Amino acid sequence: MKAVGARMPRYDGVGHVTGQTQYVDDVRVHGMLSAKALRSTVHHAAITNIDTSKAEAMPGVKAVITSKDVPLLEYGHLSGLGIPADEPLLAKDDVRYLGQPIALVAAEDEDTAQAAVNAIEIEFEERPALWDVRKAFDADAPRSHHWGNWYTHFEDEMDRRQIRKGNIEQAFEDADRLVSGVYRTSAIEHVPLEPQVSLVTPEPDGRLTIYSCTQALYFSLAVVAAHLEIPMNRIKIVGGTVGGGFGGKVDTATETITALAAMKANRPVKWRWTREEEFLVSSTRAPWHMEIIDAVTNDGWILGRKMLTLHDSGAYARFSPYGLTKHSFHHTGAYTIPNLHFDGYVVFTNRTPSTAMRGFGVTSISFAVETHMNRIADILGIDPYEIRLKNANRINDTSPNRIRYTDPSTVDVIHAMSNATGVELAPAYAGATRQPREGDMLPDHLVSQLKTEGH
Amino acid sequence: MSADVMIPYTTEAAIETYGDGADITVIAGGTIVMQLLNYRRMAPERAMLLSKAGMSYVNREGPTYTIGAMTPLSDLIGLAAPLGPCAANVADHEIQYQATIGGNLCAPTPPEHPSGDLQGPLIALRATVRSTGKGGIRRDGVEDFLANKAGRLVLDISFDAPQAGAFRALNRPHTRQFTALAVSGVRSGDKISLAATGAGPTGIRLASAEALAADPAAAAEAALNDVAMRDDSLASAWYRERTFPTLVSAVLIEIQEGS
Amino acid sequence: MNIRLNGGTVDIKSPPLTSLLTVLREELNVTSPKRGCDQGGCGACTVLVDGTPQRTCLTPVAAVDGAEITTIEGLGDSENLTAVQQSFLHHGAAQCGFCTPSMIIAATAYLDGDGSAEPEAIQEALKGHLCRCTGYQKIISAVSAAATKSEFDLTSMTASPNTVILPGGDT
Repeated sequence: MKAVGARMPRYDGVGHVTGQTQYVDDVRVHGMLSAKALRSTVHHAAITNIDTSKAEAMPGVKAVITSKDVPLLEYGHLSGLGIPADEPLLAKDDVRYLGQPIALVAAEDEDTAQAAVNAIEIEFEERPALWDVRKAFDADAPRSHHWGNWYTHFEDEMDRRQIRKGNIEQAFEDADRLVSGVYRTSAIEHVPLEPQVSLVTPEPDGRLTIYSCTQALYFSLAVVAAHLEIPMNRIKIVGGTVGGGFGGKVDTATETITALAAMKANRPVKWRWTREEEFLVSSTRAPWHMEIIDAVTNDGWILGRKMLTLHDSGAYARFSPYGLTKHSFHHTGAYTIPNLHFDGYVVFTNRTPSTAMRGFGVTSISFAVETHMNRIADILGIDPYEIRLKNANRINDTSPNRIRYTDPSTVDVIHAMSNATGVELAPAYAGATRQPREGDMLPDHLVSQLKTEGH
Repeated sequence: MSADVMIPYTTEAAIETYGDGADITVIAGGTIVMQLLNYRRMAPERAMLLSKAGMSYVNREGPTYTIGAMTPLSDLIGLAAPLGPCAANVADHEIQYQATIGGNLCAPTPPEHPSGDLQGPLIALRATVRSTGKGGIRRDGVEDFLANKAGRLVLDISFDAPQAGAFRALNRPHTRQFTALAVSGVRSGDKISLAATGAGPTGIRLASAEALAADPAAAAEAALNDVAMRDDSLASAWYRERTFPTLVSAVLIEIQEGS
Repeated sequence: MNIRLNGGTVDIKSPPLTSLLTVLREELNVTSPKRGCDQGGCGACTVLVDGTPQRTCLTPVAAVDGAEITTIEGLGDSENLTAVQQSFLHHGAAQCGFCTPSMIIAATAYLDGDGSAEPEAIQEALKGHLCRCTGYQKIISAVSAAATKSEFDLTSMTASPNTVILPGGDT
């Protein structure tokens, strides 16, 4: 650890600046086929008929893969975290988002593969689509998912992520004011410069070599093995330089399907997405809908927070229950609020499925919390720095899920901001530290949430 | 992509190859057509590459400019407003070196975004377009040309240098490749000419605004009657309607102040 | 058709409307220009055509018959890095590296055209090149430095003012 803070050249820097760094699409293998996907052209529909015979008969086409070819069609990528499987690798009975993959064609070149895709006959019976997370709970809402319109498999089969701390009713009674706000964030595309791509070679010894742009090599290895129902030692996954991921290359979106095509054709297959597919089909950061009501005192203490979050998971669960859980642990932001009533729902809509993106689950809450703090400061006529310093996490304060803060940096960060912006703080606030609360900084209502030892 | 590709080395050869324009895809700079080819939106059987036909020039005779259809946008940047700043506002330097005035004028209009950035300035300049196709070579006003451009190959574009010109575009970083909304204005003598890009499928003259040009604020409001804003991937109709009057009045004020 | 590629002449077999990007990557196995969008929107495919940076995804190969094509492989290699390449390394101007070859091509052309060290001018010149990793600051610093310097220290593991030397670690 002698290099902390030292300046070091990147080990892959020379490769980058000379153009030698290898990305998956730069890899060429003898006999390689090109793949194109048949994707849903509607948002929500039953698949009433699919006929791949014309595609299969086309000269130059070496394999057509549909749901029938997948040994384990549905595998929960986070089943290790208790999230059950809900998403077919390739659509079987229905499609639930525009662009959902239904079939993959591997052919001698991309033009042939695309022509074969165009020759697949498919019929849809459209169903109403659900777009608005707020409407998901209406009795007459369209049904977006076979589990219902929201995830129901949290622990003890709860249908929400719930946090209860202290006594929210008392906090609301004791408050001088209630401050409410609704905050909504949009979906965001990752837009890595390198579009999604994988190349799979069936080896003579029966193993598969997978060139993958995944951010999570061993994770994707396990996912592929699970869908294919083969032991992990039959797969050699070659990762390396990812041309930008930012959380968008953890879905193992191409590897398994490409592997099936390679196995069926008994030839290497490369499947690379166009930029159009990246924008229209690849998973995004989720949109969030957050409603906050804070019980506050006139002198700027936040006694309690009641919050409802609707997380738009899109058509399938993927990592959303995990993201919502992280979100719930952070729903007080960098501040200590002793009485909490949080409910969060993972809502299924007919949008592109959501996935991780930098700060998964937490960027949404940061936006909502900080904007709400400014709102409270504005309504109470209190300086926005001071209200933050007052409520800032300190040593021995606890998080929403009762984790003891042993060394929170909130106070120092706010001081750094006030210094950088030239804002002068009143002495009590300029002198604030992260040390355990005492005196004026320890009103009665914050005593019970303290934790002086352990985690 | 096994097209027959013809590469004429003179303008005359290009005219002859084009003929009446049936079943031939013209590739000028390539910045539009190559996208369509890359995404398999078109598969031409016959194509004509114009890069060697000697159609890139900026000539001036007295007040009249004549610009060859293959002139890249980068050669137009030094020209006065509205054409110069409009060309400079397109995408980035590499695209400007490749995209041509002829290709830009004839850009097809997909629903996702406006196209034909230079149409607005050329309408404001009351430019004329010399083209070939069925019936041979003819010259049209640019608005007539735009209404009837199928089967025509642009040879050159002419306009008289204005006494005053202005160009104002929405400045939105995320749309930098495209002109999401812009207004061009030209004054010649006391005659005012105004046109917009991004306010409809093609560039459009703002006739109602021209009629009230002496009162920029009134003209700006009247201009909304000349356009049919639409939602697309760059901006909503709502946003365009609210920002458009500002662009119109700014252009009018500038060309009336200029000498 | 043929092109002069990094100093050598190469015959082209691909059909004339094949993009130069596809010719370079798929026919000639020159993979430094990247296929980021196939629409000319990202800049990752740019190479020098007769000294001018140009989008290869938008260039039919027939249009560059006989032209001088320079890719980053023709600028410098690991034994002989150009000033721009050294500056990128020194400033940490590449993270995933996908935009880097084309960014260096564009920066090289800019500086060869007497581009100034002014950040605004560099930003304007390179505005067709997207980077999703670095936030652009270090790229601009690297180009700015290369406008006035031709050699950069690449070997040192020198302590910065913020270095924390942990116990037992300063051998």
